[in-house]
Amino acid sequence: MIRRHFTAGLVTTGLVGFGAASLPALAQAQTVPVGAIEILSGPAAAYGIAIKGGLDLALDEINQKGVLGGKKIALTVEDSAADKNQAINAARKLIGRDKVVAIIGPTLSNEMFAVGPVTNERKIPTIGTSTTANGITDIGPYIFRTSLPEADVVPVTFKKAQARGVKTVALMYANDDAFSKSGFDVMKAAAEKLGLNILAIESFGTKDTDFAAQLTKIKGLKPDAVAISALVEPVSGVLLQARQLGFGKETLFIGGNGSNSPKLGAIAGAAADGLIVGSPWFIGKPDALNQKFVAAFKAKYGKDPDQFAAQAYDCMFILAAAIDRAGAADSEKITAALAKTSYTGVMGPFTFTDHRDPASAEGVVVLEMRDGKFGIAP
Amino acid sequence: MIIPPWLDDFLWTYQNLIHALGINGLLALSMYVVLAVGQLSLGQAAFMGLGAYSSALMTLKLKLPFFMVLPASCVVPVLFALAIGVPTLRLSGVYLAIATIGLGEVLRAVYLNVDYFGGALGLSGIPERAETWMIYGLLFAAVAILWLVGRSGVGRAMEAMREDETAAGVMGVNVGRYRMGALLASAVLAGLAGALGAHVSSFIGPNEYGFEPAVTILSYALLGGIGTPLAPVLGAWILTLLPELLRGFSDLRLVFNGVIIVLAVLFLPNGLLSWRMKRRGA
Amino acid sequence: MFAQQLVNGVLLGATYALFALGFTLMFGVLRVINLTYGFYFSAGAFIALFLTRQAGFGIWAALPVAAMGAGAVAVALDWLLLSRLRRVNAPELSSLMVTLGGVLALYSAATSILGPDIRRLPPDLVASDAFVLAGLRVTTAQLLILLATAVMVGALMALMRGTRLGLAIRAMAEKPDAAGLMGIDTGRLAALVSFISGCLAGAGGVLIGLNFNAIHPYMGEAMMLRGFVVIIVGGLGDIRGALIAGLLLGVIEVFTAGYVASGLKEAVAFAILVVVLWTRPSGLFGRAVVRRA
Repeated sequence: MIRRHFTAGLVTTGLVGFGAASLPALAQAQTVPVGAIEILSGPAAAYGIAIKGGLDLALDEINQKGVLGGKKIALTVEDSAADKNQAINAARKLIGRDKVVAIIGPTLSNEMFAVGPVTNERKIPTIGTSTTANGITDIGPYIFRTSLPEADVVPVTFKKAQARGVKTVALMYANDDAFSKSGFDVMKAAAEKLGLNILAIESFGTKDTDFAAQLTKIKGLKPDAVAISALVEPVSGVLLQARQLGFGKETLFIGGNGSNSPKLGAIAGAAADGLIVGSPWFIGKPDALNQKFVAAFKAKYGKDPDQFAAQAYDCMFILAAAIDRAGAADSEKITAALAKTSYTGVMGPFTFTDHRDPASAEGVVVLEMRDGKFGIAP
Repeated sequence: MIIPPWLDDFLWTYQNLIHALGINGLLALSMYVVLAVGQLSLGQAAFMGLGAYSSALMTLKLKLPFFMVLPASCVVPVLFALAIGVPTLRLSGVYLAIATIGLGEVLRAVYLNVDYFGGALGLSGIPERAETWMIYGLLFAAVAILWLVGRSGVGRAMEAMREDETAAGVMGVNVGRYRMGALLASAVLAGLAGALGAHVSSFIGPNEYGFEPAVTILSYALLGGIGTPLAPVLGAWILTLLPELLRGFSDLRLVFNGVIIVLAVLFLPNGLLSWRMKRRGA
Repeated sequence: MFAQQLVNGVLLGATYALFALGFTLMFGVLRVINLTYGFYFSAGAFIALFLTRQAGFGIWAALPVAAMGAGAVAVALDWLLLSRLRRVNAPELSSLMVTLGGVLALYSAATSILGPDIRRLPPDLVASDAFVLAGLRVTTAQLLILLATAVMVGALMALMRGTRLGLAIRAMAEKPDAAGLMGIDTGRLAALVSFISGCLAGAGGVLIGLNFNAIHPYMGEAMMLRGFVVIIVGGLGDIRGALIAGLLLGVIEVFTAGYVASGLKEAVAFAILVVVLWTRPSGLFGRAVVRRA
């Protein structure tokens, strides 16, 4: 349903809209054009829709006061449908036709690898809010991200596991998407660094439904923990089948960023109990800023925000503040201002490293699944 | 020559689309040559992937110049076409179709599991070496060559095979050789398209050359029809432009492609494969 | 562990065989690689999902209704897409293409209507605890799949060999034109075969969706690729061949994942396909049963 509304709004942004290119020039005095490229249709639409929700909510608050002394930010969200070419087309349109001064997104790391070189060439600052793979900011000096890379989150989770007495671990991952694969690379490095003994490494496909062969093999090796890097659907499948094959409380299940979704409890139910996962954000974080965000999100959309919405919400504020500090709607100045960001949002205090990644992983909390819901892990 | 700034902006904005039109035109032709001899291959996307991966590796790892990479990008797809074609082309057409679907899946597993191919992360940082004129130059050359072939004796033999393979065989057409020739030509065109695609978009991934793109390429050729080599190119252009013109349409793009295939096959007498190539003076 | 892996392999293989039964029947009799077959599989699972979630059906009531619903879908699609081509004796590849287009449109339309999310049948539909027999673990859903596969293979063989209907179907598989001349209504028979295939696919969809806790519009497509391997290796149209090839494929895949490398699990199926195409293109077991008997 939500998707229909979006697409209706996007109809005019095609080729035919090019004739209107001169119109934004008139309006430019009053507004600052900003673009976003997110997945609003197709199987991965849930991520993009959550992000758009966070961006729009932040924009409502920002535009009450405006930036640069009262100008409103005009946000154009383009749909990438998780398709590389559609994402590149969107970036080119946002820059060439809509003359945006900055771009938020795209949603997936793979899309960023295709879009980043294009925006970087035109010197348009581009901020990923959900791109967690390694090497994103290596694309060029105009590529930023506010999402904590997995490399910062996973070690925190593994330390928690080690504190609970885990000495041996088996790793499982989906080998056919970039997100899961780079999450696995990080898990392997973290386990090696902490001196955990890796007993087995098993892979599967994101769309697989049968994991019995891999799980039977792992069960025979009796690891203290099984760490899984994959999107939430296959993780749920793994957990359900693991319980059928007789994995009990003695084995700790550890999730990557993909498991950090309320859907895990909804699909896997009791089978997910006891799984721990690191998260840059938690809905129950008690500080006033976060509670206000959660309440506002619920009021506007009638559902709980997830980490993607929270990350996008902060990112919009970070960008708005950078535009203000830049003193003009100018991409070069905004890029320079972004690099000097110091902001406290719902995720906690935020600054960029010299390499345009988030500087601190202090905000990371380890969550544990109990009765279908995440809570702070004891 | 001075290009006005609005035109420059326009071209920059739609550069990716302009490239896609040319590349998809080549892909439509690669499907056309197989359909023209009455066969069905669903390996176009797999051949394209082979062209893309082999050319990207030649550029990234071997640092070869593009004028060498581009022709070399046909070699690997051609070898695979031989390996698939030799056992299947002597059987009924269904076997080629199934074997080529299988090829795409095996290759995907290889790209994913071999670190040299970048695994799930794909290959990124491919320099933009392919120019618009190269893409359209090759497209034009391919259309021209296929046009000339279609009007020659070879074209007549191909048409005879489409109509009735047994009869064509009796009349002295070397059916096996034509089938293999068509499959190899198809692999060359798809390999070139893959190499060009890889060198305009800086990133390629293992999931871009699977079943859905293969069916999309088939819908290009079937929308246009296989009356002349220009027709499938037009089909590709229509299906590439449509989602851009109607953004809301992108959700239903695959539904539309599927319906086009159904209508094209059902509402042309005796199926699409018996279409005549229009040839004056024949 | 070896014994458990063997059990895993047989169970996985049974799902492949269950999926491929109707597929190979359809090819054997109607001589069409009907790619919409995967959609009947998804349709059966979704009908069962609706019946159990919304209408409060139990598994024993939902299974036959879903199977027949999928059968009806199969008849409708056969009439819409294929009956016309059959009448004009169109080349084999036309049928392949039309069902290819049809299935792409159906999957995409189903995804935009139903959404891409993975759903599951109510968890309390069958007992989810595993039976433990001599250290081997098997769930109720898995036993159901084994049982269903055995029953369906047996029933199909009996139908083909022991009834007048089976005789007519075999006649049609052998020589459709001659069967028509001998007074067999080939149009109605084709619809009946479509219905049976659809029922088999639908039942497979319900049971496999139940076993793997995953129902989504594209679930048939994921099985389709394995289905190709099974029917080619087993021989196009060969019911017994499909059973054996399905079990073999399951065991080989599980052993590859368990003892070689799990990343190769997918590739091994297609490697087998290519080898069989090179060496024994008519399938491991020679000619098709429905056509021969």
